[in-house]
Amino acid sequence: MEPPINDLQIECQVNELLDFPCSIDHHTREVITDKEKPYNCPYCGSKCTVTGDIQCLLEHLRNDHHVEMHDGRCFSHRYVHHNPKHYHHATRMLTLLDCYGRQFCLHFEAFHLKKTPMYIAFMQFMGDEEEATSFSYTLEVNGNGRKMTWQGVPRSIRDSHKTVRDSQDGLIITRKLALFFSADNTNSKQLKLKISGRVWREH
Amino acid sequence: METDSMESSTRSNQNDEIHHNGGTFHFSSTKSHSSAAASPTVVTNIVGPTATSVYELLECPVCTCSMYPPIHQCHNGHTLCSTCKVRVHNRCPTCRQELGDIRCLALEKVAESLELPCKFYNLGCPEIFPYYSKLKHESLCNFRPYGCPYAGSECGVVGDIPFLVSHLRDDHKVDMHAGSTFNHRYVKSNPREVENATWMLTVFQCFGQYFCLHFEAFQLGMGPVYMAFLRFMGDEEEARSYSYSLEVGGSGRKLTWEGTPRSIRDSHRKVRDSNDGLIIQRNMALFFSGGDRKELKLRVTGKIWKEQHSPDSGLFMPNLSS
Repeated sequence: MEPPINDLQIECQVNELLDFPCSIDHHTREVITDKEKPYNCPYCGSKCTVTGDIQCLLEHLRNDHHVEMHDGRCFSHRYVHHNPKHYHHATRMLTLLDCYGRQFCLHFEAFHLKKTPMYIAFMQFMGDEEEATSFSYTLEVNGNGRKMTWQGVPRSIRDSHKTVRDSQDGLIITRKLALFFSADNTNSKQLKLKISGRVWREH
Repeated sequence: METDSMESSTRSNQNDEIHHNGGTFHFSSTKSHSSAAASPTVVTNIVGPTATSVYELLECPVCTCSMYPPIHQCHNGHTLCSTCKVRVHNRCPTCRQELGDIRCLALEKVAESLELPCKFYNLGCPEIFPYYSKLKHESLCNFRPYGCPYAGSECGVVGDIPFLVSHLRDDHKVDMHAGSTFNHRYVKSNPREVENATWMLTVFQCFGQYFCLHFEAFQLGMGPVYMAFLRFMGDEEEARSYSYSLEVGGSGRKLTWEGTPRSIRDSHRKVRDSNDGLIIQRNMALFFSGGDRKELKLRVTGKIWKEQHSPDSGLFMPNLSS
């Protein structure tokens, strides 16, 4: 059903940076009205048809898709691809970020754009577009004296993962460049991409 | 030992293996040869007037290039390089006798003990090399002249940096800017015309140095892209003293690239193909352009600054051109 994602691992070193005690109780739910349309499961690429409210989807992602959730506005992940030869399987990773009393999806994916192997990372907001636009996020990848930073606005999960990916609305790099960032003194052509970033509220 | 000098006129050839620049080659014994004691196989290195005649013997009578193994000869002993041997249809060009497959091993071995100065000695290179490693050194010699960094056409002009700056300004009509920050707007009315690579070059003068800012539209495997990158007019070692950043943005999004300028020793194409710069897909560039997104109006800002990279921090440069 789903392409194997065994080759793509995530080694997390998450900075749990809380500047000040948050006054919002993270466990408080928003009142869900009947008028509010349920969201689709944001798990990337799958044929998962689960829908529900945010809390419901969070439990679903945790229990059924085994997605990790991290607290804090800042993050630092290392994406390791052990078998670059298996690139033809589109591989993807999803992590959840919990801050400001809200949740964000951090997607990382390897795919082909007209036969060129690429990697893309982007963020989606678990909520509606109106609230999504009140946030901004950055993603940064560096290595070997080079650094690339993307600053963007998280897309709402009302937009499917595929929509956001195909619009290239995120940090997008060619595999060639990703390997360059990964390069160390060993000669392995293994992807070891460190992506760090943060989320903040604009207004 | 008295020094001898050899003068010859300029001969240009395809391979540029021998290029007498109208200067003089001094085969002197100023370099102290310890090889007599150290190396058991080489009794003495060839220096002085003998070196000249041996060097002349190693010049192919047909193409006048330096000959490298395998060196051939005819039955009468006339020598020929392997490239020309293929072209002379089995006839010795010197005596018209039939050529065989005779190899002149003795000459090859004599060449081993020949030492010559780098051909860029008149540009400052002080080094002397054995015959067989001279060519390799010359392709990497720091004193060798630079090639014109103008992207696109293969401009064959060479020279030092000040010369090339004037050449870019006067012959290629490149814009010159003084200062280390920039704010350029690239406008293209019909962005669909990206088939032919189009490029723009601006030269920046700051920190007493010259930098080339390239902006280019071309087709990458993934479709039309725009790329911006900086090259340093000088050698790689000095280029590492500098850093630069480029930024594009619009509509709440921003893409920033920070890197080390590449030396103009690396060709424009090599840097471009290594993706070592700011790359934006056309769709994203049009998105940043705002408006109806049919016209490219990309604002690229950036700056150059001096930053000493330590030898350990991220200077592993794998071959990006593969």
